[in-house]
Amino acid sequence: MQRNWPQPSPLRGRSVLVVEDETIISLEIEQMLQDLDCDVIWPAANLSQAFKILADHRPDFALLDVNLGKERVFPVARALMDLSVPFIFSTGYGREGLPLEWAGWPVIRKPYLTSELARAILPLIAP
Amino acid sequence: MTDTADVVSAPSFARFRQSAKVLHEPPQFLDQLPIAIYACDAEGRLCWYNRRAAAIWGREPKLGDSRQVFEGSFRLRGLNGEPLRPDETPMARVLATAKPLHGKDVVIERPDGSRLTVLVHIDPLLDDAGALIGAVSCFHDITRMKAAERQARESERRLRDLIEALPVAVYTTDAQGFITSFNEAAADLWQHRPTLGQSQWCGSWRLRKHTGELMPHEQCPMALTLKQQGDFRGREAMLERKDGTCIPFLAFPSLLRDGAGRVTGAVNMLVDISDRKRAEERQKTLVDELNHRVKNTLATVQSLASNTAREAALPSDLRATFEARLIALSRTHDHLTNAGWQSANLQLIIEEILAPHVAGRHHAIELSGPPVDLGPRQALALAMVFNELAANALRHGSLSSDKGALKIRWAIKGRRKPVLHIDWIETGGPAAKSPDRKGFGTRLVERSIRSELNGTLDLKYGKAGLHGVIAIPLV
Repeated sequence: MQRNWPQPSPLRGRSVLVVEDETIISLEIEQMLQDLDCDVIWPAANLSQAFKILADHRPDFALLDVNLGKERVFPVARALMDLSVPFIFSTGYGREGLPLEWAGWPVIRKPYLTSELARAILPLIAP
Repeated sequence: MTDTADVVSAPSFARFRQSAKVLHEPPQFLDQLPIAIYACDAEGRLCWYNRRAAAIWGREPKLGDSRQVFEGSFRLRGLNGEPLRPDETPMARVLATAKPLHGKDVVIERPDGSRLTVLVHIDPLLDDAGALIGAVSCFHDITRMKAAERQARESERRLRDLIEALPVAVYTTDAQGFITSFNEAAADLWQHRPTLGQSQWCGSWRLRKHTGELMPHEQCPMALTLKQQGDFRGREAMLERKDGTCIPFLAFPSLLRDGAGRVTGAVNMLVDISDRKRAEERQKTLVDELNHRVKNTLATVQSLASNTAREAALPSDLRATFEARLIALSRTHDHLTNAGWQSANLQLIIEEILAPHVAGRHHAIELSGPPVDLGPRQALALAMVFNELAANALRHGSLSSDKGALKIRWAIKGRRKPVLHIDWIETGGPAAKSPDRKGFGTRLVERSIRSELNGTLDLKYGKAGLHGVIAIPLV
């Protein structure tokens, strides 16, 4: 497998909140994060699960799917801002799909490669 | 018309006061006057009249006839057309009150039935002791003036009715921008009735640019038009009502000029485009939703394939090849979506496709060519071709070596039938070898160019590396 991210992975041992409502996609993201040597991955399929996780844990960073079916992920994004937890959005719309409030925030377009995920997250993680 | 001071100054007969002579010895110049004039004694009998009076009456009544008093006309009517009784006539009233009556409009009916509107001024005549001895009436024909006035009023009313009947908001201002009129549709749109002559530029509570920023009234399209800063018809803006609701609209201000070309004011039409905006919003939501579904489906396929490959312990570069193809397809979709599925820029597509393959090695890549817009089909096919060529360069070609480089150059040749020529030049890597077996990638490249894009493809496997020459017709 092509591994064009630094070795050892700077994500080694990190904990991640993954908000993604589609199971099959969230399984793949989990796999990608494991390939990047992340330690703990907390999956959440909706807002309430995400808030439940945030009540007990403080992840190192988060990956937020914008469109969660009936919900949008933005309340979690605001909570993460308050907790100073870095995060990126993932969306099928591209950057143009974000509302004005989040314009310019880092976005990764679905689907994406593991290497692209690593490149999107690295700038957010303090060395 | 009631005040006639400007039309004709009522002659004063005060100088005849001293003597009752005037009743029986009319001045000699009367027939030369352009105005009709007659006198009655205190009982209303005609004492004399001039030629103009006879011409207006259409008859020459007998003098001193006590059967016809107060009037020389065949019949007198009010402006409403109702006949006046003799005691209701202006002359009868002056003789009854001994007070002058100036600027009264009445209708004279002639014996032939024709009617004239006249403006009447009557002064009482008093003797030295101050007793009423008669009165002098002068009058003139204002039929044409009245008709013109009525016509002006009528056409103004028709215009008002017309503007009122329009389903769009219309208002007018004077040259300084003060509102002079507005229709009901305007009051409805503003949810406000501006004070005429006081509200300036626009009757809305607040104005905003279409981007949402506040726009001072003196900078609205109507104000700029009146300040003669250009043509602002069709300009989009938003008005805000006091209750906070915002209505997007198009303004169509136009200057109004008088016969001499001087600006007398302006008229503005405001077209409410809320429905169009809502439809655009709905369409955007639909497109976003569709993209979300498509991208999630591709991500699901990626997950299924990748996890199936893991489970079957298939080689990991097989998974990478599959993912790269899937991503190439998806990213080209993104570009086409951003351009409304109309066109996609060739260079942007190449950069997007190469990015995952050449991360961190941008110095080894050189792209050059003019801007080219591709149709959706051409964009998708070329994207898949570039993905295969890039994957091959990374695995076997110039990008497999640290010293290798890749140049992609393109140009459009021919005007009437433009053809896009693309050179894919790999250098500094291992010598290129023709593949022993044509894999899916090679077949995909060949068929896309030759069949789908109707082009030609020449892959030269040289010592310096692969040199691919592609030519595809653009129309």
